[in-house]
Parts: sequence; structure tokens; C-alpha cells
Amino acid sequence: MIFNNLKIAWRSLRRNKVYTGINIIGLAIGIAAVLLIFRMLSFELSFNKDFENYDRIARVVRQDVNASGNRGYTTCLPQPAGDAIESSITGIEKLARVKELWPTLTVPSENSNIPSKKFNVADAETAFFAETPFLNIFDFEWIVGDQAHALDAPGNIVLTKTWAVKCFEDWNQALGKQLLLDNQIPLTVTGVMEDLPENVDFVFPFLASYETLKANPEDYFYSEGWHSCSSNDQMYILLEDAGDWDLMQEAIAGIGAEEYVGRNGTRDHVHSLQPLSDLHFSEQWQNSGTHRISKKRLSILGAIGILILVMACFNFINLATAQSTLRSKEVGVRKTLGSSKMQLTHQFLTETGLIVAAALILGMVISTFCLPLLQHISEVPNELPFLSDYRIIAFLLITGVSVTLLAGLYPALSMSRFRPVEALKSNYSNSQLSGSRLRKSLVVFQFVIAQGLIIAALINIRQLDYIQKIDLGFSDDLVYTFGVQVDSATLHRQSSLKNKLLQIPNIEAVSLSSDQPLSGNTWATNFRYASRPEDEQYAMTMKFCDENYSETYGIEPIAGRWLTASDTMREAVVNMTVVERLGLDSPEDILNQTVRVSGNDLKVVGVTEDFHTHSVRQAYKPLLMTTFKSYYWQAGVKMRPGDLKGTLSAIQQVFDEVLPEQVMDGQFLDESIAEHYGDEERLSATTKGFGFLAILVSCLGLFGLATHAATQRLKEIGVRKVLGATIYHIVGLLSKDFLKLIFIALLVATPIAWYLMRNWLDNFVYRTDMPYGAFIIAGLLAMLVAFLTVSYQSIKAATTSPIKSLRDE
Amino acid sequence: MSMIRTDKLVKIYETEDVETTALNEVDISIEEGEFVAIMGPSGCGKSTLLNVLGMIDSPSSGDYFFLDQEVGHLPERKRSNVRKHNLGFVFQSFNLIDELTVFENVELPMLYTNTPSAERKRRVEELLENMKMMHRRNHFPQQLSGGQQQRVAVARAIVNNPKLILADEPTGNLDSSNGDDVMRLMAQLNEAGTTIVMVTHSQYCAEFANRIIRMLDGQVVTENVVRQFL
Repeated sequence: MIFNNLKIAWRSLRRNKVYTGINIIGLAIGIAAVLLIFRMLSFELSFNKDFENYDRIARVVRQDVNASGNRGYTTCLPQPAGDAIESSITGIEKLARVKELWPTLTVPSENSNIPSKKFNVADAETAFFAETPFLNIFDFEWIVGDQAHALDAPGNIVLTKTWAVKCFEDWNQALGKQLLLDNQIPLTVTGVMEDLPENVDFVFPFLASYETLKANPEDYFYSEGWHSCSSNDQMYILLEDAGDWDLMQEAIAGIGAEEYVGRNGTRDHVHSLQPLSDLHFSEQWQNSGTHRISKKRLSILGAIGILILVMACFNFINLATAQSTLRSKEVGVRKTLGSSKMQLTHQFLTETGLIVAAALILGMVISTFCLPLLQHISEVPNELPFLSDYRIIAFLLITGVSVTLLAGLYPALSMSRFRPVEALKSNYSNSQLSGSRLRKSLVVFQFVIAQGLIIAALINIRQLDYIQKIDLGFSDDLVYTFGVQVDSATLHRQSSLKNKLLQIPNIEAVSLSSDQPLSGNTWATNFRYASRPEDEQYAMTMKFCDENYSETYGIEPIAGRWLTASDTMREAVVNMTVVERLGLDSPEDILNQTVRVSGNDLKVVGVTEDFHTHSVRQAYKPLLMTTFKSYYWQAGVKMRPGDLKGTLSAIQQVFDEVLPEQVMDGQFLDESIAEHYGDEERLSATTKGFGFLAILVSCLGLFGLATHAATQRLKEIGVRKVLGATIYHIVGLLSKDFLKLIFIALLVATPIAWYLMRNWLDNFVYRTDMPYGAFIIAGLLAMLVAFLTVSYQSIKAATTSPIKSLRDE
Repeated sequence: MSMIRTDKLVKIYETEDVETTALNEVDISIEEGEFVAIMGPSGCGKSTLLNVLGMIDSPSSGDYFFLDQEVGHLPERKRSNVRKHNLGFVFQSFNLIDELTVFENVELPMLYTNTPSAERKRRVEELLENMKMMHRRNHFPQQLSGGQQQRVAVARAIVNNPKLILADEPTGNLDSSNGDDVMRLMAQLNEAGTTIVMVTHSQYCAEFANRIIRMLDGQVVTENVVRQFL
């Protein structure tokens, strides 16, 4: 019987090529979308899970509450807090302090001061100073060296295999070899470990011992005070028992109860444990990996994938129920000859199964070809195994069975319920099949999703465009930036670097600073204004910059003047937010006043307009700019238009000449700013991509229904034409019903999309107004695409000779 | 023992506004081995009667006894079971399944009675041979003439050796020559012991039967014996 069913299914599908084609293509698109999303989800959800102690590992993090009740989140753990955890809390099997860093690593040359090899740790990677237990908490794959003591002493370094090969050609040769950290701290290789897998939230090229940090406190900002801490100072712990979370949270929260008391007498910092399982998905705390993604974003992606697949299933249901009128005779005959409902249901499900099997194969092909597109919407590496991954195969099988049942069961049950007498007479009309209303509802549902996604995509594009075009308050045009390492050996070369760069003909200005205007970095400190008795209730963010920062980045003071050259902190320029937060009437009021930051009294010499120092998701912060040569890690070079290639090559030449031991990693400012909007870019690409898929799947279904309607109404069309109807009448007649559904879908989609996108836009401090045109455009676009889809069949039906259609009847 | 006996059989079709009585207290009895023709003008209820007798429709009231068992009010599953083991159908429009070959169409009823594959093959080939359709075994219905299609339909009707064949205008879509062939086939089947109930408009076809039941407005008006049933 199964063979018989398969045979009939195959022949039946071959006979109805349009119907079969639409179903297979629609389902294949849905399956491809779901496969790609599954790949993204399974990649993201697999993060850190391969660590043996996954459920017992946590990071100690901190919540900060300021006087006005606003919360901040940081991963910083001051040294004494770490000591207190170590000495007073039981139930911890191991703990390890780490500090993130992005240094230069060089292989010293025997005969010269210029290293034989030099490497920067790129922004995408994060190196660590780490205590030895770090190697036990996480079961990294060890290759060579004494793992138990590899990070015990100052000057110890453990390399990953790739970096061992980079430095010494052969990782086997690395053990015992010498390296220099930031060109000054000698390190000895005490171990080599395997490269880290893609799905962990660590991307370190090497681990230097924590003792190295302690031995060089000033170079790497090591401090032992309760109030001195950076988000790079972190601690991982391994619990003795995975069931101890609540008790442990309570104990950790008690750390610093006396020390973290703010001016109003309440706790302003509270430590807690962040489970390893949260590291990749946290919206509050950064991690040391390549990226984070919220579970909410993953759920939305999953939902979009399922919705597109469901839409494709709806196409199937719609076409199958519409086509069932043509199959009623067959059902009647089979029932008359003794077929049971069950046997008929099996037969129709076999047909669905065949279609789904073909769609699965086509879906796999489509998704394989579309894999590179995932790069635009996710961080999934291209080289991950795809179809050879057993999880994908299992997922495909489950999808196949689910889709067969979801798409096939209703039409199968509905057809198998036909009464033989009516079925034999082909007495079932579309309306009697109880499918008519269902089909309309499903079409409306499909277009609600499709139009909703189009609206989301349009609003997304608009917002992205808005934030990209927003006046950042400084000039990012033709400014080339690169990092410069600062230490006692290089400090005196800063002026030489600047002067030589300025001699390049096409260079207009050069500035050295702690960071560029929009960097995402936050240096924050308490500050006190003039003679006020207490510090202000909010933190002051800071940038350290030289006298040329203003002309290089086009930041002009609106009152007073810019900073004059100095090696240390003497003068300050603040932004307008500071003036407003201090309650001053005009920028002039702050000029020549003294502000106290980090124990230094600075004279305010100028005020600038606010400019964006962080992504435009965030509001302006109070900002103070001052000079401090030791913190000038960043060079900015303002170029004139023309011969960029030659200018860049000249910059490289100067850099190599002045700082031969360092590596230049440069980037144009506008490019680095664009990186801050990667998340928005990806979201925009996601909504655009899946919006397109949704409309494609919906239109495929519509095309099928229009084909069916045109066939069903052939006689009616013939009669109307004989009675004088024009092609326009007929096209209108056939299109009207469908367009009505699309309009209803727009009415449903509009409030839903408005609500969701309003919430999304609320995430941005600077946002476009709700673009109501997006709703109109989405509606018109859907109508137009739907009309074009339907009109092909309508025109075909309308131009068929009435004699033919009437004779056929 | 009567093969078929009906007692005040009533079938009413109801739509929202109209109620149509298709069968109005029909009492008939048909013996095993009989060849009965049902005649009457269009809309008199003869096809409805055939559908009820064929258990593909159920009566609104009254009883229908098949082999002394009341089957008119059985649930669909049980009726289907009685049907597939005892009845064969021949339709005016042949009702062959377009996706199946001649062989597969004839084989189909045996699939529903779980007949073993070898037995199915033997039986279908034997029948097709008898019907002189063996050379067309792998053809699809659209590739056959009307007469050939009806011969295949008759083969399909008798493949499970039914006790009763119900034929609804079996020659209605055929020319006179093919129609004649089909009627001779029916007569042969009847001579071999199969009971046949046939609805027809054609007096010529009706004369192949032993008895003619004439209907008007849902009621049996006369019953004529054409020739003595032995």
C-alpha cells in the first residue's frame, strides 16, 4: 500500500506541475530560512557549553547605583574585593583573577633593538594577565609545558598554538623562548595550548601571568584600592557545587558592605555572580569574546524562521484545500471501492511527504548557497561544518516530519471526510470545503507577517540612515587613526612622530590623544566644581588630548579657547552638558573656574558644543578634555583630499621610522565609527532579508491561489466576456478579492508593527520620528507585488477565447 | 432469502430553503442472481436508490436489509467494510482514477481487501485477458476509448468477486456498439451468478434484465418481469 501511495503521489504531483512547483519552492524557501536560522541559533547557544565545568563557573560582576538611583553594570572587581572573596567565602573550589589587555608582543632580535617580529593584539582579540587557576577552571586543551605552574611567576607567558607558530615558526620550538610585552617587559614561554574554539567567549592569543601585572603596576594600572578599578579587572570562580548558587550570591553580595557606601549612606556598588551560561547573552555585562547576543534577539530570529516556514505550510494548506475540489472524484471512487478514511489520509500525507522531501533537498541546496549571506546578519563563521553536522541532519528530519504533519494533515483529513456520493458527483464547491474562509484567513496572516517585516525593515533603514547622518559634532572626514604604544622608551618620540607626519605634503593636522572623539571608551571620575564643598553626584567622563585635537577633529570651542600644549594636566575644556549639569546660565560662566579631577585642580579654558563620544544609542555625557602625554595611545591624522594611497604609505613609512618596534594598525575614523553600528546594520539586514523572503513566500501562495481561481472561474469569465466584459473588468474581478485580503492584512499589521517598532526606537536616545510613510509604502508595495502576481493569471484568463472556456465546460 | 430488501425507504435532501424527497417509502426486494433494471425519468430517484443500495449514501428513514442484515443505518466504517467485500460499482462516467494505469485501476479494490500481491496480479491479468484489455495494461485511462474505459471499470467492479454489481447508466457515455458490448458483458456476469442492479434510461439496455422497476417522483410505480428469473 505504501508503494502504491508513493506511486500515485508521484504521478499526481507530476500532473499538477504548477501546484507542485509552488509548494516545493515555497517550502524549500521556508526550510532554507529555518536551516540558516537554526545554524545561527545553534552556534550562539553553544557558547562556552563545551567547558567541562560549564555549570559551576561564574564571573564576579558589579552593579553600581548612583545617587539618583540609576544603575550601571561593570565587570570590574577591585583587588581587595577579590581578596575578601578568596579569604572569607567558602564553597569556592578555585578562583582566578584576570585583566584584559591589548598589547604589542614582540620577538626580540639578538643583535638589534628592533624586534625580529612584532604583533599587535587586534581589537577583535583580548589577551589576559591571568592567575594559574584560570587554566584549571577552564579546561583549555594543553599542548606543552607544566600546566600546573605555567603562570606562577612574573614574566611567564602561555601562547596559543597559532601565536606560537606566528612567533617561532614551529610551536614545538616555543617553550623557554623570550618575548617582549609592549617592547619592555621580558616574558618566557612556559606553555603552549591549542587555539580556542570559535564558540567560547575568550579570544586570547596568549595568557601572561598575573604576577607580571603585579610586577608592573604603573604600566598596566594595577591598584589595590577599593575604589580603583577598571572593567578589565575581572575574576572567574569555580564553585564546589553547582547547587550552591543562591547561597553563594548572598555571600558575594555581602562583599564590600562597609567600603561601598556612598555619600548618602547607601550602598552604591554590589557584587554578584554572573554564571558562565549568561556570559554570551548578557545585556548588562561585556565579555571578552567577539560579541554578545541577547536571548531576546535569538528568540526573535527563531520566531521569524518559524513564521516563514509556517507561511510556506499555509501555502501548502491553501493550495491543497483549493485543489481538493479537483480531487473529490478520486476520493469518491476510492471510498466507494472500500478505502477507509485512514487509508486516504495516509495517501494524501504521502503526497505531502514527497513534496516536503523534495523541499528539504532543495532547501538544503538553497541554504548552502546562502550561507555566506549569514555573515551580514550574524557572527557565524563560514567554515563551521554545515550539512555534515549531525544536529542539522536531526533538525532536518524533525522539520520534515513536522512540516508534513502541519501542512498535510488538515487537507488530508478534510479530503478523507468527503462523502462518496457528493464526491463522485464532484458536488463539492470551494465554499463547501470549509476551506474558503480558512484560506482567506491564512492569506491575511501571511501578509500580516510579510507587511510587518517590510514595515520593520523600512523603519530600520530610516533609523540607520538617521544615526549615520546624525551630526556627531566633530569631523570624521579623511581622518586616519592608529594606535601608538606609550612607555618611558617611546614618550620622547611623540613630538618627532608628529613633526615628521606633518612634513607629509597632504597632511593637514596631527593629534595625539587617549582616544578619538567617538570611541566607546569611558574614562570616568568624580569631580568637584570651583568652591563647591562636595563632588558632583555624577561621574565626569574624560579624554586626554593634545593642543591639535581641536583642528584635527574639527571640534571648535564655543566659548574660550582650546588647550595649550602641556605634558601634564593643567587646563580643561568641557562640553555643554557639563555647563548644563552644573546649572550654569552660559558657557562663559565656567571659564577660568577650577575643577578638581583625580586630585588635580584644572582651570577651565574652553567649552565645546556636545559631540557624540559613544554610540548614538546613548545620550551626551558630561565630558572633560585635558592634556596628559603619558595617555596618548592614539594618533589622528587629518588629510587633505587627493592621493590617499601615497599619503597612507608615507604615514606607514614615518611610523616605521620613528617607532620601528611597534605595529601600525590604522583605520579611517568614519570606518571605525561605522563599526559602532554593526548591531543596527545586522538587524537591518535581517529584517530586509527575511522581509523579502516573507513577501516571496506569500506571493508564491497567492500565485497558486490565483491560478486556481482563474481555472475555477473559467466558465464565468467566458460568460462575462460573451456578455461584453473587457479584459480590465475580468482582471479587476479576479484581482479584487485578493487585494481586499492584502488591505485587511495591512490594517492588522499596522498597529502591531507600530507598537513593536515604537519600542525598538525607544532604545535610541537619538531617533527618527515614526516614519508613517513606511506603513503606506509597505502597504502599496505589498498591493503592487500581489497585484502583479495575481494579474498574470487574471490576464491569461481574461485573454482566453470565451468559446474555448465555454466549450471546455 | 432476498439479497436486498427495503422497507419504507425514504431519502430527503435538505438545503437551507428547500426540502426534496428523493425516495418516498420505497419497498423493493431483489433475489440473489437477479438482473434488475431501474428506470424512470430524470430526477425520479433511481440513482439515489442505487446509491443507498450501494451503501454510499444512507436513507433518511426506513430500513435497508442486505443479506438479511440491516445496513442502512450502519456507521460509515462498517458500511465501507460490507461494501468492499460484497459490492462492485459501474458508473456512467467510468470513474477510473487518472493517475493509475489500467492494471492498477483494476487492482485497486483488492488493495483495500488486503489481497496478497501474487493473487492480485493473477486475478487482474485473468480479468484483463477476458476483457481483451491485456495489451492495454500499462496505459492510463486518458489513452483509452470510452468503451475500453468502461470495460476496465467493469473489470474493476468484479475483481473482488462481488455478490452484487450496481451499475449507474453503464452505457450512458458510450456509442451503441460499445454500449452493446458492455451490456453483453453484464449479461454474462449475471448468467455466471452475479446479482446486478442497473439504473438506465435505455429500454434496450433494460431488456437485458430479468425485471424492470419503474420509478416516478421517488416512488416505485410498476415492476415488470421481462423474462422469468430461474
